[in-house]
Amino acid sequence: MERLEYFFLKRYLKAPKRNLFRFSFVFMVLGIMLSVGILSAGLHLFQGYESTLKRLLLDSFAHIGISSSTGSLLSEEQTALILALATEKDDVVSCVPMLNFQLMAQSGDKIRAAGLKAYPEDNYQSYAPYVIAGKPNIRESEVIVGHYLLQELGLALGDSINLNYPRLDQITPLGIPNAQFNYRIAGVYRSGYYENDRSIVISSIADARELMMNTGGYSKIEIHLQDPEQAALRSRDLVSVLGYDYVAIPWNYYAESLLRLVAMEKWLIFIVFSFLVLIAGINVISTVSTIIIDQKTEIAVLKTLGANTRSIRRMLIFRVGLVGILAVLAGQVFGALLSWLVEKQTFYQLKGDVYFIDTLGAQITLPNLAIIFLVASLLVFVCILIPLRQIERLQIIEIIRNKH
Amino acid sequence: MILSAKHLSKTYIDSDQTIKVLIDASLDVERGDLICITGKSGCGKSTMLHIMGLLDAPDSGELHIGGKVVHSNSAEAPAIRNRDLGFVFQFHYLIEDLSALENVALPMLIAGKSEAQAKARAKQLLAVLGLAERINRYPNQLSGGEQQRVSLARALANEPKLVLADEPTGNLDPAHSNEVWEMIRSLNRDLNQAFVVVTHDVEAAQKANKSFELIDGKLLRIDA
Ligand SMILES: Nc1ncnc2c1ncn2[C@@H]1O[C@H](COP(=O)(O)OP(=O)(O)OP(=O)(O)O)[C@@H](O)[C@H]1O
Ligand SMILES: [Mg+2]
Repeated sequence: MERLEYFFLKRYLKAPKRNLFRFSFVFMVLGIMLSVGILSAGLHLFQGYESTLKRLLLDSFAHIGISSSTGSLLSEEQTALILALATEKDDVVSCVPMLNFQLMAQSGDKIRAAGLKAYPEDNYQSYAPYVIAGKPNIRESEVIVGHYLLQELGLALGDSINLNYPRLDQITPLGIPNAQFNYRIAGVYRSGYYENDRSIVISSIADARELMMNTGGYSKIEIHLQDPEQAALRSRDLVSVLGYDYVAIPWNYYAESLLRLVAMEKWLIFIVFSFLVLIAGINVISTVSTIIIDQKTEIAVLKTLGANTRSIRRMLIFRVGLVGILAVLAGQVFGALLSWLVEKQTFYQLKGDVYFIDTLGAQITLPNLAIIFLVASLLVFVCILIPLRQIERLQIIEIIRNKH
Repeated sequence: MILSAKHLSKTYIDSDQTIKVLIDASLDVERGDLICITGKSGCGKSTMLHIMGLLDAPDSGELHIGGKVVHSNSAEAPAIRNRDLGFVFQFHYLIEDLSALENVALPMLIAGKSEAQAKARAKQLLAVLGLAERINRYPNQLSGGEQQRVSLARALANEPKLVLADEPTGNLDPAHSNEVWEMIRSLNRDLNQAFVVVTHDVEAAQKANKSFELIDGKLLRIDA
């Protein structure tokens, strides 16, 4: 930086009121603040949506699920073998055999399809955080039921619920043998992942076996890892040791394409909202043009004294750029505030059946803040540069001649 | 020889007429010269001065500064204006946001001197011009004569070879006008500073060591 530019930059910073907080900047600053605010809020909310969805998907599906490749239940011996093998590595947080199958939940004349998950006693860590009422550690003849499933059946905590398991594989001339039992609702499950909240029923292994009319074995073994990103790799490793009688399915298998789609939508929103900043940039262009016209005498004098166009340009860039960057930062604060307000508001709830989750939460991350700052500053900067060509076109002699 | 203008001509083409402002005008400026140019209003004095100051280009003719041919639109023109030339105009053209001291420091900052250096020299110059008490005033807090002396100080900041002044006293009353002329003469006498001054003031012009009149586009020596 040359002395001249440095000298003026110092003056701008020393007397910001006189040089930076001027009326000619008001609309430029407002435009940038608003557009950057909306851009930020959009990105924070979408980021929140993405990470909530990811967390819920991770919690709702085991990181790795191991089952028999034939579709039959795993025997006690097979289960023991897998448990021993899977827990060899210490990045495994939990490894729980479980039963899951589809059944019908019924209360009075209301019937809904439901997915039963049964875990051995005291293995409630994986779902305990989402039991919003009642208790997670159920005993025999107690179940935990999804919040929306309860709503649809018109039931509440403490009521009793009927579960039917239609044995489609054992149809007889007398019809479908139908095991039906009655359970007490001991807990309400609500994760925010709509799909689960409207279908899940959790029971003990013993109750599930009674329903299925079988005596032993498990549908699959659910493994949770310290680092879920390792799931695909570890799945492959496990199958290569266990052999092809087994399949190990990592969570990404279900969730990856959905998460990719959401991430893509997030950046799409970002790009669309960036155009708002570009529109605000039109104000920047007109502000800079106004300054050049207002200060054409000063510019002509500086040129007469031997300042070259480049340093005059730089001085203007510093001055407007400084205001622009402050406006971008203010816009980011505004955006954080805006997303906080959206989070707190109660007028509008997400539709769970459309968006998978039913609560809107913002997440502000450092990389996103940096990206917003860089993109917005870059757009503002480009808009500052556009009108600077006028400086070259200023006719210095005309300006100097025309003052009386 | 500091500056030599050779066979300058300049024509303006207005909508219906062509105005020949300069026809084959030549002027040599040597060290210690105090040159005055007089002439009727609109005869082209400012144009002549602007061309000599690399602010305007002639249609034909050459300008030599320090022995080299120079052009107003060349890359080195700003540096020549900054280093070798000083300007004083009828209107002071001080920057309103800057104090007298800072205004005078400006050409030195443009030349790349440090702020401390520039301000120290600016202080000295303002003292020489009798403005030691006024260094922190802003242009609108100075009288017309003071404003012109500040712009004279600014013109002298980088010890230019030549100061070009376009009616520096044109806006001043006789008392203030005298004050500025005194300054110009003493700088010329004591520091051997070369000046080319455009003026209406025929009386003042007679005290110059060379005077010219611009008549019908021609620059004529009138004192010899
Ligand atoms: N851009 C231009 N287009 C057309 N004519 C111009 C232009 N600039 C100057 N002129 C004309 O050129 C002539 C000389 O102008 P100049 O300013 O050099 O005169 P001057 O001697 O300085 O006059 P004054 O004593 O009033 O300052 C004038 O007639 C003016 O109208
Ligand atoms: Mg003139």
